[in-house]
Amino acid sequence: MPFDILAHLKALCAAPGLPGHEAPARDLLRAAWSPLTHWLETDRLGSLCATRQGGGPRPRPRLMLAAHVDTIGMLVTRLDGDFLRMSRLGDVDERTLPGQLVTVHGRHDLPGVIGQPPAYLLPKNGREQVTPLSELVVDTGLPAERLRALVQAGDLVSLAQPARELQNGLLAARGLDNRASVTALTLALSELQSRAHAWDVVAVATVQEEFGLRGAGPAAFALAPDLAIVIDVTFGRDANTRDLAYRTFPLGGGPVLGLGPNIHTGLHSAVKAAAERAEIPYNLEVMWEHSGTDAFGIQVAREGIPTMVISIPVRNMHTPVEIVALADVIRTGRLLAEFAAGLDPGFMGQLALD
Amino acid sequence: MQALIRRLTESYGPSGSEDQIRDVVRGEIRGLADYVTIDPLGNLIAVVKKKAKSGKKIMLAAHLDEVGFVVSHIDAQGFARVQLFGGVNPLACVGSRVRFADGRLGVIGIEARRDDLTKVPAVNELYIDVGATNAADCPLRLGDAAGFWRPMELAGRRLIAKSLDDRIGVAILIETLRSLKQTPHEVAFVFSVQEEVGTRGAGAAAFGLEADVGLAVDVTRAGDTPNGPRMEVRLGGGPAIKVRDARMIADPRVRELLEQRAREAGLATQREVLEGGSTDAAAMQIARGGMPAGAIAVPTRYIHTPSEMVELGDVQACVALLTRFLQRPIEL
Repeated sequence: MPFDILAHLKALCAAPGLPGHEAPARDLLRAAWSPLTHWLETDRLGSLCATRQGGGPRPRPRLMLAAHVDTIGMLVTRLDGDFLRMSRLGDVDERTLPGQLVTVHGRHDLPGVIGQPPAYLLPKNGREQVTPLSELVVDTGLPAERLRALVQAGDLVSLAQPARELQNGLLAARGLDNRASVTALTLALSELQSRAHAWDVVAVATVQEEFGLRGAGPAAFALAPDLAIVIDVTFGRDANTRDLAYRTFPLGGGPVLGLGPNIHTGLHSAVKAAAERAEIPYNLEVMWEHSGTDAFGIQVAREGIPTMVISIPVRNMHTPVEIVALADVIRTGRLLAEFAAGLDPGFMGQLALD
Repeated sequence: MQALIRRLTESYGPSGSEDQIRDVVRGEIRGLADYVTIDPLGNLIAVVKKKAKSGKKIMLAAHLDEVGFVVSHIDAQGFARVQLFGGVNPLACVGSRVRFADGRLGVIGIEARRDDLTKVPAVNELYIDVGATNAADCPLRLGDAAGFWRPMELAGRRLIAKSLDDRIGVAILIETLRSLKQTPHEVAFVFSVQEEVGTRGAGAAAFGLEADVGLAVDVTRAGDTPNGPRMEVRLGGGPAIKVRDARMIADPRVRELLEQRAREAGLATQREVLEGGSTDAAAMQIARGGMPAGAIAVPTRYIHTPSEMVELGDVQACVALLTRFLQRPIEL
């Protein structure tokens, strides 16, 4: 590999980047993508668009590869004495929040932990229930008056669990949704450096996916691509979810190719053919209505854009210990490069809803 | 400004029936802007043209429409059955008065025989009584829309009125237009339609205007009532600068610039983190290729009832903040 994927992914996961506030992660990516692309720009809502110019004749068709760079987190709703109360920015799994390490982005960053009432102090039936987010506190250790000087309503709270390398090429980290996919984009751009491609390829790190899929539609409007592939995560299979075989996918089983109304069938077939050409294992996922990804916004931008969703399986989604198989990230990057390199200038003329 | 707020809040304009309130606003802004247009959806747009090369194009939005009722059936006794729209609070309905486009008043009743009298009224248990004795006598027609009816009242430094959501925003835009002596920017004051049924007018206006920056001026809830919403915002604390609501995250660059302008002017502000509801800015933010957008909100109690309450000082501070924002350079 031309660069250290694990280090890149871990650095991305460690960078804050809550919805609407993606600058720290975007800055990291700009540095990584700049040598791999011909030009970069940040769009009006903050999505980073990096273009590799293709070798085909003008007007060159354009492929958009989109992965959201924002991560779920929280924000301060109010100060409650020496403590902070929170609300969500994106669908954090609140069952997993008590006991977590967080960073409060106040006037300066403050370390904190999330607390809940000790079980011993709760009535018996209260112990069996999940404490709702509105009743959890962030404890920074600061007394009320000093807290008030440093933190105000609206300040962001990031999950701060450090990444942990597991056995067998697995990584546990916060933010793998969707930094694993962003890493696959970096890999694809890197691989395309040594491969000819006729089309312009635009890697887009979209913003605000976790808060209503808001960044991708405007990005697609501005770029007006001919085709778009969205890379996001899907549910990884574990002991509790293996019976849900249609919704969960094995880690290490390769990228997962989406099917459904949000996905153009001809584009799906072309991506599948690319996987077979490159001998990349894959699974299929039926997304029967809303894909739950940026593809939902991109598909109906302008006069409509054929879209495809490729997913990387992640266990423990929307928790601070999401788990990914590095092999799946690498294969997804290779698949994107193989597909992009395989697009001939007349591809749009052959694309059919078969 | 009180007289203006009275004229605005005592006007009729449920979502989709904004003609009367639009005419009132048109009268108020006559001669103040470089030109005024009404777009295909009915948004009233008053534009102050750009005066300096460095100026930006700014879209401001406050919505004309108010929550209300639409007649869906008239029964044999002459009672009108209605659908509620725009998040009317059913607890605020029984005994409330409503007014139709022709000025006709009605009272909202509730069926006396209900399964569970302790429950929140369901929409099919409510009806509007305009004094008709039977169906033939009832002057209402299917599709007729009504809004709450109440005159504005003063309570100390606070105002109580129907439809302060968002006539207070409309008043702030009008006062800002009046007080804006000079600005380097092109400013489009958009008095939008159909906000309460899904921020539909402002999205279309934003597509048409292609502005560089967008701001909505609307109401937000206040956490300073008994067991009130869990938020820091209170009446009298100054303009609330939006951080996040149910549908949007305000652009942090816009939010910070608003906060900076407030600090320079010595105006106290608060930060709005709202759990339910949104504003025109949510639609403006994602129009075309996206628009950096934020919102200034007036802390308001009892939203979507006939008796919404705001503090005058907050309203005046919103005008001061918005005026200063428009007079100064806007670099994001």
